[in-house]
Amino acid sequence: MKDQIDALLNDVKKLPPMSNVVVRIMSLVQKPDVSINEVATEISKDPSITASIIKLSNSSYYRASKPVRTVSESLMTLGLDTVKEIIMLSASKAVLQKDLKGYQLEADEMWMHSLVVAELSARIIALKKLPIPKDLAFTSGLLHDIGKVILTQFFPGKILNIRDELKNMETTFTEVEKKHFGYDHQEIGLKVLTAWNFPDELKEVVSCHHNPELAHKFPILTSVVHIANTITVISGIGIDIGGINQELSPFALKQVGMTDKDIEALFTSIPEIQKQLLDLHRG
Amino acid sequence: MLSRDSKLINVGIAEISISKSPNLLRTTLGSCIGIVLYQPDSKIGAISHIMLAKDLMGKDKIKFPGKYAETAIPKLIKAFEDEGAKPGTYSARIFGGSSMFKNISSQFLQNIGENNITFVKEELANRKIPLIVEDVGGHEGRTITLYLDDGRILLKKAGMEKYLYKVR
Repeated sequence: MKDQIDALLNDVKKLPPMSNVVVRIMSLVQKPDVSINEVATEISKDPSITASIIKLSNSSYYRASKPVRTVSESLMTLGLDTVKEIIMLSASKAVLQKDLKGYQLEADEMWMHSLVVAELSARIIALKKLPIPKDLAFTSGLLHDIGKVILTQFFPGKILNIRDELKNMETTFTEVEKKHFGYDHQEIGLKVLTAWNFPDELKEVVSCHHNPELAHKFPILTSVVHIANTITVISGIGIDIGGINQELSPFALKQVGMTDKDIEALFTSIPEIQKQLLDLHRG
Repeated sequence: MLSRDSKLINVGIAEISISKSPNLLRTTLGSCIGIVLYQPDSKIGAISHIMLAKDLMGKDKIKFPGKYAETAIPKLIKAFEDEGAKPGTYSARIFGGSSMFKNISSQFLQNIGENNITFVKEELANRKIPLIVEDVGGHEGRTITLYLDDGRILLKKAGMEKYLYKVR
């Protein structure tokens, strides 16, 4: 099984595609002196990203202060960080809104789960006044489960063993994945983001979101997404074959300074958060 | 099987939905509970998807009664009886209420599932609504689909699925 997965991971053509324009924009915006014109020019090379930036800029979620008709207007009204977030949002949708049959998760549920974790991550940053840009928290939350998109196709051959494992429930589901596939979805996600040349912050979150204590470079950001994901799974949004077969890391709570009251407030606001995200869910 | 005339209605978190044959009601549950009511003669059914037993702060439940069992259950019963289900002619089934695998770091998250199960059962008993089927607790996620033509439920969890036919 691991050999088959290795073969797939080593063949870039078999990984989910990411627009070259998105990859170039992601590295362009890392430059501190980048100009709005440069970014707008690069974006205009991808008509579908251009269209979604304009559409999402006018959505009720982003609420641009005046109608946005062009990418330059979007950049000027919403700012570079928000446009970066919108680019990641529209690029991720194509990859994440997939039926994950192995995980018993439908495309819309997977996409809603990703959006809710993204939004909760952003809200935790705001609530605890953490020095992390909102768009980075949102994007990290959005992409955390990307490895499942790949791993799902290997479930059919192992489903009986996995069912047995779930009856006994002695380990977390990532350990079950690792045991039967040789990789868990975190490791696969890391490979995908590496193939796309995505930033280190996103790579660490994706590879450690179930074990934030292993995040050595960005422990706070990884902890934020870990907490957001745990709350979302318990609420049942995007809960998959693994159920709530995971742990809430005390390390993560300490890093972020989360109290039980904070968790309760976020958990109970999930129905309102979901409504707020409907615009983005429809895309 | 979904016939051409039947509609599949997704019941979101904190929502209460009522419909009748030949439609289907569906919801996905973690620690939340799906309370299913069904009246087999008129083939009316309802699902209330509650998140927590009670609102300890006391304000949120006024705005969002569907979130909390203490306010959702009376609302569910009233709406169901307003649709024509006579008291004493229907029963309840409950699903969900999972808890985390291992967790000592958040009392709140750890207890949601168990608290929900206990409270919902008490409330149904107090209101003399017979509880005829339950699949609650554990660590699994559950998706339930209520087929209003005969009241059966398709329960999916942990990579398995099965039909539950008991309706009275």
